[in-house]
Amino acid sequence: MIDIQERLRQIGPLDGAPDDDLLVCRCEEITKGEIRRAIHQGMFTIEELRRYLRCGMGLCQGQTCGRLVRNIVAAELGVSPTEITSATARAPMRPIEMAVLADDGGAAHG
Amino acid sequence: MKTERYDMIVIGAGPAGLSAAIEAARQGVRPIVFDENARPGGQLFKQIHKFFGSKEHRAKVRGLKIGEELLAEAEEYGVEVVLDAAVIGLYPEKEITVKIDDTVRHYKGDTILVATGAAENMVHFKGWTLPGVIGAGAAQTMMNLHHIQPGKRIFMLGSGNVGLVVGFQLLQAGCEVVGLADAAPRVGGYGVHAAKIARCGVPFYLSHTVIEAVGTEYVTGVTIGQVGPDMRVIPGTEKYFDADTICLAVGLSPMSQLLKQAGCAMEDTKGGPVPLCAAAGKTSIPGIYAAGDVSGIEEASSAMIKGRMSGAAIAAYLGYTDEKVQEERIFELGQQLGTLRQGMFSPENRGKLITKTDEGIGVSMHLLEHGSVADDEIARYPGVTRQAGIHPVIECTQNIPCNPCQDACPKGCIRIGERITSLPAVDAAKECVGCGMCVASCSGQAIFLIQEDVDPGVGEVTIPYEFLPLPRAGDTGTALGRDGRPVCTAKVAKVRSSPAFDHTNLLTLKVPNDMLMKVRFYQTQKGGMGL
Amino acid sequence: MDKTADVIIVGGGIVGCAAAYYLAKRGISRVTVLEAAKSIGNGGSSRNGGGVRQSGRDTRELPYAMYGIRHLWPALSEELGVDVGYVQKGNLRLGKTPAHLNKLKTLTENARSAGLDVRMVDAKEVQAICPYLSEDVIGASWCPTDGHADPLVTTLGFYKRSLELGVRFYTDAPVKTLRKIKGKIREVILKDGTVFEGGTVILAAGYESRFLARTVGVDVPMSRLIDECLVTEAQPPMFDIMLGTAGADFYGHQTVHGSFVFGSDCGYEEVTDMEDPSQLATNSMTLSASCRAIMGYVPALRDAKIVRSWCGWLDNAFDGVPFISRVDEVPGLILACGFTGHGFGTAPAVGLILSQLVAGEEPVVDISALRYDRFTPIR
Repeated sequence: MIDIQERLRQIGPLDGAPDDDLLVCRCEEITKGEIRRAIHQGMFTIEELRRYLRCGMGLCQGQTCGRLVRNIVAAELGVSPTEITSATARAPMRPIEMAVLADDGGAAHG
Repeated sequence: MKTERYDMIVIGAGPAGLSAAIEAARQGVRPIVFDENARPGGQLFKQIHKFFGSKEHRAKVRGLKIGEELLAEAEEYGVEVVLDAAVIGLYPEKEITVKIDDTVRHYKGDTILVATGAAENMVHFKGWTLPGVIGAGAAQTMMNLHHIQPGKRIFMLGSGNVGLVVGFQLLQAGCEVVGLADAAPRVGGYGVHAAKIARCGVPFYLSHTVIEAVGTEYVTGVTIGQVGPDMRVIPGTEKYFDADTICLAVGLSPMSQLLKQAGCAMEDTKGGPVPLCAAAGKTSIPGIYAAGDVSGIEEASSAMIKGRMSGAAIAAYLGYTDEKVQEERIFELGQQLGTLRQGMFSPENRGKLITKTDEGIGVSMHLLEHGSVADDEIARYPGVTRQAGIHPVIECTQNIPCNPCQDACPKGCIRIGERITSLPAVDAAKECVGCGMCVASCSGQAIFLIQEDVDPGVGEVTIPYEFLPLPRAGDTGTALGRDGRPVCTAKVAKVRSSPAFDHTNLLTLKVPNDMLMKVRFYQTQKGGMGL
Repeated sequence: MDKTADVIIVGGGIVGCAAAYYLAKRGISRVTVLEAAKSIGNGGSSRNGGGVRQSGRDTRELPYAMYGIRHLWPALSEELGVDVGYVQKGNLRLGKTPAHLNKLKTLTENARSAGLDVRMVDAKEVQAICPYLSEDVIGASWCPTDGHADPLVTTLGFYKRSLELGVRFYTDAPVKTLRKIKGKIREVILKDGTVFEGGTVILAAGYESRFLARTVGVDVPMSRLIDECLVTEAQPPMFDIMLGTAGADFYGHQTVHGSFVFGSDCGYEEVTDMEDPSQLATNSMTLSASCRAIMGYVPALRDAKIVRSWCGWLDNAFDGVPFISRVDEVPGLILACGFTGHGFGTAPAVGLILSQLVAGEEPVVDISALRYDRFTPIR
């Protein structure tokens, strides 16, 4: 059980960091500062951050930035990165055109 | 909708996947292997360097050759390999969907081995998204598969084996490596790999990190800085280099998404999520196995053995072999794997500072901090002796699992013994004939031949040399020390190439006797390494 | 840790978060939200297609669906301090066959009689509204006041704003049982044994509400059904309306961000069986079937790349409309579940109504048709 208000109190107010303008998720152009701010708004999990900011939701699906985001969350929450659950994995593992996916030998719809 | 069914589906035709398929096929299993790339072999065909280990691990054979051997073996046992085939989903009942050409196909396996390997990590610093910031793997692909230089002036971040090996390959490709940095205080990879590039003059910056990739449209330079124990840059320590490429070798993350999608029990490790595996890569879902980097980052040699173990387990799971055969085979493979995991770089020693070798000899701190053993440190190692006639000098100073030099010497001058991580010792009682087989056999390029007084006051040092074009006998150039600094003028006495040397050429340099224990590399007069 | 509250909300999805927000907004800030998952909004709230529509709904739902669109959605981004991606550009419900059109006509007539601005449009007008649609579409219903929003940000926006107003949230806090004390609801007991106490308990936990209501002797007649969605990489702006079909073969829209979010099915859903429902494993056939369905209506998207698919459980009420109701025999217990896959668009209004039920006020619209005990035998 995680008491969100209590954890927010523990991590304290958001301070400015010199590298807050650093781009972390290049697909969706999300900066480190945006991620840090969202954490201080209560988005403690990778899933919440993805949903709230779209970081890791672009073409590469977090292949590049997943680890970077995880490390930012861990640092902000003061825990080890291994305590941060990584994002769920979903098909398709590579971006695939609709017309290609449609052609799987299945019956026509409807 | 058609669903094809196989005994065994292997995802990834890299060293682990191919090895598993071969091992299982040898027992009668009919495996099918999918790989999203146009070529099989995973990273093996980019590995132009000689591998470590012992004979059973195909030591001193270059990665690309190992790849060719694996493919030949796969063909021999009838392993079906489907290329340009991206597996896009792993579903219940061990079903996969695969993109092949412009269609998606469904396959079910009674067993599935996931051997999808790993992806390169990124780090973020100002300007990291500029063109010119590339992964070491990408650099390797450009050089070794497409024969393109990734850049002219390269800065390398990362002193693990990947950073060191790719750094050397960049030099071989004719690029200038302006520096190599790592936030860690000590070189992370094998000392012999570090020494290869240090002697070419690449400066090492340990406890340093990249602060900024400088440039507007693309990389034109890089600023690095020293970090304190808190990993923050110490103000005033900034250093700037002109560079057009920043190469990142900052680790790999397992590509374990398929296993996660399938619902295998996972563990979030420092390197990313990995499947929780029992022996032979058995995941929490019966019939799904994982082998190679996807289950934890190791070397290709380990991946091949892990693949074979999974292949053996799968053959038994499917009833092609009995438990006893499986157990014996897995035991045998486990011993091979255990051998590779010994020594200073064993998984349990990761990140630890080891100050003494197994033999009780002090580890070279100069090597760990600057990439090269200092002149006054080298004499303490058992491979370094002083003899009247020609003899090998083996600058192998760390306990790593590797022993081809022992077998390479036809005269028995080199002794490692049973434990392959032991430091090679030179037996002065045996007579060296100067054949050079040991020099060419050393995957770490750490063996040299030395002979004093070939002419009065002048001796010869023979070095391994893997740059083109080859110097010619009679050329004069600059002899460089272990740290890459000019030591003296050298005249090329002899250049030896032989199929037995497998593309490692032997350059014999004439230098004054008192320089023989200092000279470890040769620079042509033009200043380049060959180019 | 203070484990007492005026109101305990079981379920940190959009309904729970919206209820918490409207409670806190009116000054009832001793509110505790218990979420079973590690993430807020992990159920249907983060897995739906983002429709904010009135058309196509059962007339029992129309009053609060319309109320939300008139009074709550327009200012929601401002209220929550985050862009919820609300776009009100209309909804086309498409038909390809005369049978489809008949179905749409009935829905349209019913909705018009309840006061909704919705009408039938012919093929030509369909093309005028959205030129990317297939020529197989022979007609549609058109509701210009419908729209769509970002369900992920909306849910987390309610959460964020509630936190700012002092609502206490607990994640990774699965509830095991409810308990009455002296004839009234009082205790909410977690699987780890922790006991929370409150005067009012709102059960907004999707299908799981059924298991929890049972612990105080109430059965909620609903079933669980899997549903899948997919998302494309960002595309250039094409259209800003919401799409649905009379054949219910797909629905979706282009988000403000540029990607298209669609939901569809393959026909296997009714018989889908998952040992652990929380595993949310997608089906190997649905992704391809969905693409065929979508391309059958929007052929221009054939080269759009799908980057992700996912699934979620619907909490299907036996008659297709939710249970939003006090429970007479368990004083203090309020049900808000059974949203049947279309609860997102109405969630702000439902949240507001729940806050009114807690305060003992008359809700802004009549919800008496949504009582928990409305099931009667068919013969």
